[in-house]
Amino acid sequence: MITFEHNQHTLRLWGDLTIYHAAEARSRLGEELARDPELEVDLSGIEELDTSGVQVLLWLKAEARAQGQSLPFTSHSPAVLEVFDQLNLAAAFGDTLLIAPNA
Amino acid sequence: MDMDQVKQTFIIEARELLASMEEALLTLEDQTDPSESINAIFRAVHTIKGSAGLFGLDPIVRFAHSVESVMDRVRSGRLPLGPELIGLFLECHDHLVAKLATVLENAPEHPDCQKEGERLMTSLIPWLGASIATIPSVHPEVSPRREGGKDYWHISVRFPPSMFQNGMDPLSFVRYLRTLGQMVSLHSLLERVPTGDAFDPELCYLGLEMDLETDVDRKTLEGVFEFIQDDSRIRIIPPHSKVEEYLSLIQALPEEEHHLGEILVAGGCITPHDLEMALQTQRTEDSQRMIGTIFVEDQSVPSPVVVAALEKQKRFQDKAVNEMRVVKVAAEKLDNLVNLVGELVIAGASAQALANQAKEPRLVEATATFNKLVEEIRDNALSLRMVQIGETFSRFRRIVRDVSRDLGKEIELEIQGAETELDKTIVEKIADPLMHIVRNSMDHGIEPTEVRLARGKPVTGSLSLNAYHESGSIVIEVADDGGGLDRSRILAKAMEKGLVAAGADLSDAEVHAMIFEPGFSTAESVSNLSGRGVGMDVVRRNIDALRGTVEIESYEGSGTTIRIRLPLTLAIIDGFRVEVEGTCYVIPLDTVIECLDLGPFLESEENHLINLRGEVLPFLRLREIFALSGTKPSKERVVVIQYGEVRAGIVVDKLLGEFQTVIKPLGELFRNLKGLGGSTILGTGEVALILDVPQLVNLASQRTRTRTPILS
Amino acid sequence: MAKTILIIDDSVSLRQVVGITLASAGYDVAEACDGQDALAKLNGQKVHLMICDVNMPHMDGIAFLKAIRAHPAYKFTPVIMLTTEAGEDKKKEGQAAGAKAWVVKPFKPEQLLVAVSKLILP
Repeated sequence: MITFEHNQHTLRLWGDLTIYHAAEARSRLGEELARDPELEVDLSGIEELDTSGVQVLLWLKAEARAQGQSLPFTSHSPAVLEVFDQLNLAAAFGDTLLIAPNA
Repeated sequence: MDMDQVKQTFIIEARELLASMEEALLTLEDQTDPSESINAIFRAVHTIKGSAGLFGLDPIVRFAHSVESVMDRVRSGRLPLGPELIGLFLECHDHLVAKLATVLENAPEHPDCQKEGERLMTSLIPWLGASIATIPSVHPEVSPRREGGKDYWHISVRFPPSMFQNGMDPLSFVRYLRTLGQMVSLHSLLERVPTGDAFDPELCYLGLEMDLETDVDRKTLEGVFEFIQDDSRIRIIPPHSKVEEYLSLIQALPEEEHHLGEILVAGGCITPHDLEMALQTQRTEDSQRMIGTIFVEDQSVPSPVVVAALEKQKRFQDKAVNEMRVVKVAAEKLDNLVNLVGELVIAGASAQALANQAKEPRLVEATATFNKLVEEIRDNALSLRMVQIGETFSRFRRIVRDVSRDLGKEIELEIQGAETELDKTIVEKIADPLMHIVRNSMDHGIEPTEVRLARGKPVTGSLSLNAYHESGSIVIEVADDGGGLDRSRILAKAMEKGLVAAGADLSDAEVHAMIFEPGFSTAESVSNLSGRGVGMDVVRRNIDALRGTVEIESYEGSGTTIRIRLPLTLAIIDGFRVEVEGTCYVIPLDTVIECLDLGPFLESEENHLINLRGEVLPFLRLREIFALSGTKPSKERVVVIQYGEVRAGIVVDKLLGEFQTVIKPLGELFRNLKGLGGSTILGTGEVALILDVPQLVNLASQRTRTRTPILS
Repeated sequence: MAKTILIIDDSVSLRQVVGITLASAGYDVAEACDGQDALAKLNGQKVHLMICDVNMPHMDGIAFLKAIRAHPAYKFTPVIMLTTEAGEDKKKEGQAAGAKAWVVKPFKPEQLLVAVSKLILP
């Protein structure tokens, strides 16, 4: 289950960004990006992330760059941070990662 | 639950599988489409092998593996399943049973058992054809050369694009690798993730370059990627490998060579100079020996897919599904339950008696309701112990098959009434007597082929097992279409043994019954099966012990039927109470036909015959049989009982009515008393004796025959 | 939250051994006796991995695999298929139907645990 919450310029993702919802996430995220040039993606609600989800995020980042947008990813949830750590992805995304005090 | 308990489950399961395997093997030849049976056999061996492996039962695994390999050739149609192979499989079945027994005893395998296993495995080899199952060979371990390089493994993986569809995620492999050691460095290759519409979110584009410091061996690391090796590109370079190994890696993955080189340089595996050199010499040196690297490419070999068996498999599964709905209970627990229910029945009868005495209507009503429920519980408890006789019958398929082969006779077994139910304890005890009878029929009953031909009979002899219910008993018949019993020879033999006086006039039934006398055998040749003169008397003793009877119907030249009649259950009966001289006796209700006043006598009272609506009925007085003193009442009663097809009257003082009772065996002292079958405890706490109806009926009709009545 | 594994095999003893092994490694284990039973028990609930015998009554492993791969909730669920050396033909068919992880019977409980760990950790 994945849900999207668009508020001001922030798109917040909730739930699982996994292979089961990769296709859905890709099209929704693509639409949101096209609609809002100042978009930010808030990852604090992501409970599960897998490689396919990582690929969708990477693709989105590349799409934004191609359109000259910065598209920052913010508020990485513990699940997201764990995956970034496992695959050593911090540099590839280039976002600021905040280590939560209780993580 | 612990492993020991699970092992018990395994043994029970394996036994059931072996039973179904045997059954399938034996019915195979009769079937027009044997594929279901073949599947059943295969699956039995397959499942046993699988489970045995879990418990480390290697001898069973190895043996089952051999059987399975041959069976698989049969299943795929490469090998016909003829009588010879069926015979071999049956032997293998027996051997698996034997092997299983050693598991149960927790004992090491007996040397004889081992030898038998090896013998059978050797016999199986010729049937394997060219397809001797290959066990994947283990790569010889190459000891890494200690020449430069780093002291950790380098692992390079390009995951297959389709892996998500197979439920796999590169992340899980990374997580698992991290449990094997220290991930010194990890680099995700993301360049292959396409941009724009070319991106398919359900395909995997990831590649990984990893340095892992670990103590595990190369096989373990290879094994990590076992499930994706078929379509991934994986290279594993051991610690201390030469620089060339890394360079050959770069050469093998040209699409990202520049990038990869940088990663390796960054990881310290190679120097920038090495990289430079590698890129220059890439074209010229392509046949570098790759020590300690694996390079797994798509190895899919096209092979014809055999799917045919799939559909058919489904059909035969219904039985297996039914098994799943069954709860297995230890027989001991059931016996305990039945015993307790027996006590409950007595306690209920006692309460009822007291309530009746107290004449308190509400109490009487309450106890009546209570007893009705007890009765239902009794029936339910007893029905739990009821099993179908079919399984016992099925065992004979094997025996008939083996014995007929040994005897050189063609014998076909026909089974009827396999679904007839009877008490489990009786089923267990009747198996041996049945075996004797069946063997006897095959050995002595059914004639050798030449004789059959001469008599104009079909070459194949027929043996049939039949079971059905009849008035509270179960009847089991063993019939053959053989030569029948030879009356004159039996009679001659009986006279020779001094069992009958010379010139005695005996009915056919009496003559036939002689074969149940100890030491009686008319067989001219003693075969290894029967004909040793032991057996039939033991058969009768066993049947007697079950409160059953056995009778013979035989026609010279056309066959013999041996009919065993057994009570449905040993534990609880509905009884009919009668009283003689103030003592209570119980007659099993299902043998009671009717009750009436004594008389009118036929001819005279002394010939012990009464006229029952025109029918001649022998009778006996219990007070005479048990030599009770006292005077008979003015009005005596007759209870008409029937056993089998014979009726007799039992004369008693009073009729007390029906009640439920639990049969307790008689003590040693009374075991040999004629006419008594057991005892029971009445509601009042008194002991009552249960009459042995078969014996009484027999006694009454015998006595009559010695004093033949004059019928007008 | 522990990961849930569904074991589908017609052998009770196998299910029990596997169940004990996986449970002591920290997984939640559910059991089914054949493909049909498994489908009924799954009923859309989330499981993280399935272990499935190929040769089973009623609905065999391959048919089951095809059924779950067509189901949105299990399209991408990792499945370990249990087979024997004799089952090569089935293996090809199963791989095409979406199961790449095959464990050959007979196996020791630890071997299966390793196979599971490669696909999901508890």
